[in-house]
Amino acid sequence: MEASCGKEPVLIVDDEKNIRLTLTQALEAMELDTDTAVNGEEALAKLADKPFGLILLDLRMPGMDGMEVLRRVRQTRPDIKVIIITAYGSIESAVEAMKLGAVDFIQKPFAPKEIRGLVTKVLNRDTLQAAKAKGYGTHIELAKKCIQQQQFEAAQEHTRQAIAADATRPEAFNLLGVLLEMSGNKLEAQKNYRAALALDPTYKPADENLSRTTGLTAGGGISLGR
Amino acid sequence: MASNLFIVVVGCGRLGSHLANRLSRAGHGVVVIDRDEQAFRNLSAEYSGFRVEGDATELAVLKQAKVDQADLVIATTRDDNVNLMVTQVARAAFSVSRVLARVFEPTRKPIYRRLGIESICPTSVAAELFLESMAATRSLEDSA
Repeated sequence: MEASCGKEPVLIVDDEKNIRLTLTQALEAMELDTDTAVNGEEALAKLADKPFGLILLDLRMPGMDGMEVLRRVRQTRPDIKVIIITAYGSIESAVEAMKLGAVDFIQKPFAPKEIRGLVTKVLNRDTLQAAKAKGYGTHIELAKKCIQQQQFEAAQEHTRQAIAADATRPEAFNLLGVLLEMSGNKLEAQKNYRAALALDPTYKPADENLSRTTGLTAGGGISLGR
Repeated sequence: MASNLFIVVVGCGRLGSHLANRLSRAGHGVVVIDRDEQAFRNLSAEYSGFRVEGDATELAVLKQAKVDQADLVIATTRDDNVNLMVTQVARAAFSVSRVLARVFEPTRKPIYRRLGIESICPTSVAAELFLESMAATRSLEDSA
């Protein structure tokens, strides 16, 4: 497993002690500097003090909930990377969270390997901007990064460039669907999810997004794919 | 035992919760499944793993508990047949490399073995320990 490029400190925000413990243990194995906060207020106070590069944030907390924390964080630190922690089947606010630039989700329960893989991927996203050769994969990652930084036009542009690079792969269509869903156009979004599945019927993220938007499955997150 | 495994414990009774507490304290990622939410009270305050409330005989519950990522699944319900079913599903459907089941009925052990499931039979284990203890006592008396 490649090491994180930026070893920026990570803030773990969750009211549940077992989650804070599990995440701290998992990330310390990656030699990352971690800190924890038990609620929104403590999180915002710590964020003001230290240049965290990534927040792991539980959406459902008593007092100031995750969405409110995210909103306030985006005001002072629009660049900070966010991974949202959700309970099983409770991702109604996924779209809301995405509008605030949170593109990555992890659902409880998760294996240590899962969270480590996701954190590595998110922390490494910056290095892609330095990539000279703009291949399909790079455009997809840049599109996700733009969504994260709320640059939706740029995200759409990268998605279009990805399709131009390779129109036979499902990822870009899935992302287009996501962007459309976020702008409120569910029907058009579903067309793109179906297009992704037509290209690759085994592409799970589009399947999950389609099932979720057609109400076939209760709950579920917005899948951006790997 | 390797460090930092991902372990799913099915059943949060006395045995399941005891194992979950110990494994969690040893630094492993643990998920406990139980049908009854009250059973999670058996977990210690220091338990740092996850809890999933649901019937482990349902595929959806096993998926929710991320059994597909598990290094080890331990079945500790009070029902031998449930333990057998869960461990079989874990191996066959989720390709879990190691599964362990508690089996109360000693005569079932060969069946489990044939299905490639490691089992621990508390009945047999207790019987052995009792007999060993009796033999030890007797030899102490003999030499007295």
